[in-house]
Amino acid sequence: MFELSIFFVFAATAIVFALVVILHRNPVVSALALVACFFSLAVMYILLEAPFLAALQVIVYTGAIMVLFLFVIMLLNLQHQHEALTRPVQQFLGWMAGATFCLSLIFYLLQAAAPVMVSGAYDTSARAIGFKLFESYILPFEAVSILLLAAIVGALVLSARGSTTVKGDTEQAR
Amino acid sequence: MPIDLTDAVMTAVKIAIVLGAMLNITPIMVWVERRGSALMQDRVGPNRIGPLGLLQSIADALKFILKEDVVPAQAHRVLYTMAPLFGLIPALTTIAVVPFGRAFVIPDTLTYDSGLAFGLFGAIMLMLLLAAGTAAATVKFRTRPAATRLNVVVGWIVTVSLVGVALVLLAALLAMKSAGSVHIPGAGHLFEPIVADVNIGLLLVFALASMSVYGLATAGWASSNKYSLLGGIRASAQMISYELALTLSTVGALMAAGSLRLVDVVARQTGYFVLFDTVKIPAWNCLPMFLGFVVFVVSAFAETNRTPFDFAEADAELVAGYHTEYSSMKFAMFFMSEYMAMGTMSALIVTLFLGGWDIPYYHEPATFFGFLFSAVAFLVKISIMMFVFVWVRWTIPRLKYDILMRIGWKVFLPLALINVVVVALLIAAGWV
Repeated sequence: MFELSIFFVFAATAIVFALVVILHRNPVVSALALVACFFSLAVMYILLEAPFLAALQVIVYTGAIMVLFLFVIMLLNLQHQHEALTRPVQQFLGWMAGATFCLSLIFYLLQAAAPVMVSGAYDTSARAIGFKLFESYILPFEAVSILLLAAIVGALVLSARGSTTVKGDTEQAR
Repeated sequence: MPIDLTDAVMTAVKIAIVLGAMLNITPIMVWVERRGSALMQDRVGPNRIGPLGLLQSIADALKFILKEDVVPAQAHRVLYTMAPLFGLIPALTTIAVVPFGRAFVIPDTLTYDSGLAFGLFGAIMLMLLLAAGTAAATVKFRTRPAATRLNVVVGWIVTVSLVGVALVLLAALLAMKSAGSVHIPGAGHLFEPIVADVNIGLLLVFALASMSVYGLATAGWASSNKYSLLGGIRASAQMISYELALTLSTVGALMAAGSLRLVDVVARQTGYFVLFDTVKIPAWNCLPMFLGFVVFVVSAFAETNRTPFDFAEADAELVAGYHTEYSSMKFAMFFMSEYMAMGTMSALIVTLFLGGWDIPYYHEPATFFGFLFSAVAFLVKISIMMFVFVWVRWTIPRLKYDILMRIGWKVFLPLALINVVVVALLIAAGWV
């Protein structure tokens, strides 16, 4: 009963803040609402007896990724922008796609039987996840890390290309 | 889910202990910082209110409460008001997973004997002595020209409350004497001095610590002031960079303990390293993981925005950084969260690298006094670390911002990785 009430409180905050993310005009408020939404999701993980996943959710998404989002938004100072409806067809299609996805999700969830959570069915400790990552899933794990490395190198190459031309310009100017 | 009343009461007691300690850090540390900086710069420092200026913090707190609360017209009202909360909540909650003493079994009965009577009598005498001192200081101070009515009233309030505590203790002593022995509720339970002993211990610390950046960033943005905004941007860039080194430098301690729970990390450090079969030194993590210890301490300075890394408020460049526009209690909340974060970081340094509550060469018994001694040892270690924070602030000038970012990524991150490898080799060799 206690857990159920916590679930409903945080499910409600997750939905409300998710709506704020897409509906609010101010990008900083949207980013902070997304942080609150992620936090509510972390509570869901704790209720599903996966505290490790909850901690990672908070550390990775709210602690790292959203800080960078906020950093960029604040650096570009994207505040109080009131864009006119420049692309009505695209906006209409976007709303339609979103509504279709939402309705189909509700439809299939209503058809499916209510899931029963078996307590203690899964080992979600850091130790178990570590063994899984470094034994059963070592190949995908390494593949993902190479992908991330490639992304970092790519970003560096793209930014370095810009800076060399700037350097060349200043040298020509001298 | 039935809730055990004893557990609930014990948890409430623990929360009260931890919260009381955290809330009292700020006034004490403000006094230490101001007197400490005066000591290091050969000045006198605040010495007007109370003996040695000890009541200065109370006067400061009153001033914060009584000042006008200004909200800039251009500010984003909601976020401007909420930003100090974003900073304060992580600072208050992180300490929950840190063990602050040795666990002990609550005894059945408390019998009245000479030792207990002596202890209580001593406590009463101490309270009366303090009350007499405060009263004498207040009377002496009253005639000085600098005395205001507020100062004198505060002096009398402190005196009266000290006498009140002494009277309560006396009543307890007399009640104990007439009863003979008192049955303690919750006897037989193990009192573990940690608010939340969760499996993910240290991860929870980092999860909450990573939230504190939102307080600074939001405050900087919501103030609609370019200096505040720059402070907030700097804070977010700096904290995200140093969080990596901070997290990686703890991996060694976790590897040695084989667990994320800080209770296990401390338990592993209560043993000894034996050198050449003769010399016993305490098995504190700072010895085998010296690199990690250094990286963690330096990153802790960056993470708490203390000099030499206080770029978020850099008063020479940014007026006061992210809290330029804040006044009254909202400013006080930033102030409080800075000192609380400092306290939490000191507690983490002590727990991870300096043996936690362990007293070297002494085996704490699993009784109330063992808990008391270990808790005092923990407090002493934290106090020393806090003084180091103050010491560094008034010794090392602020770095340049590009140097901060460069050493964060190019020095401390590799050093933390090297520390992981070194600790892994030591564990493989069976030395740790």
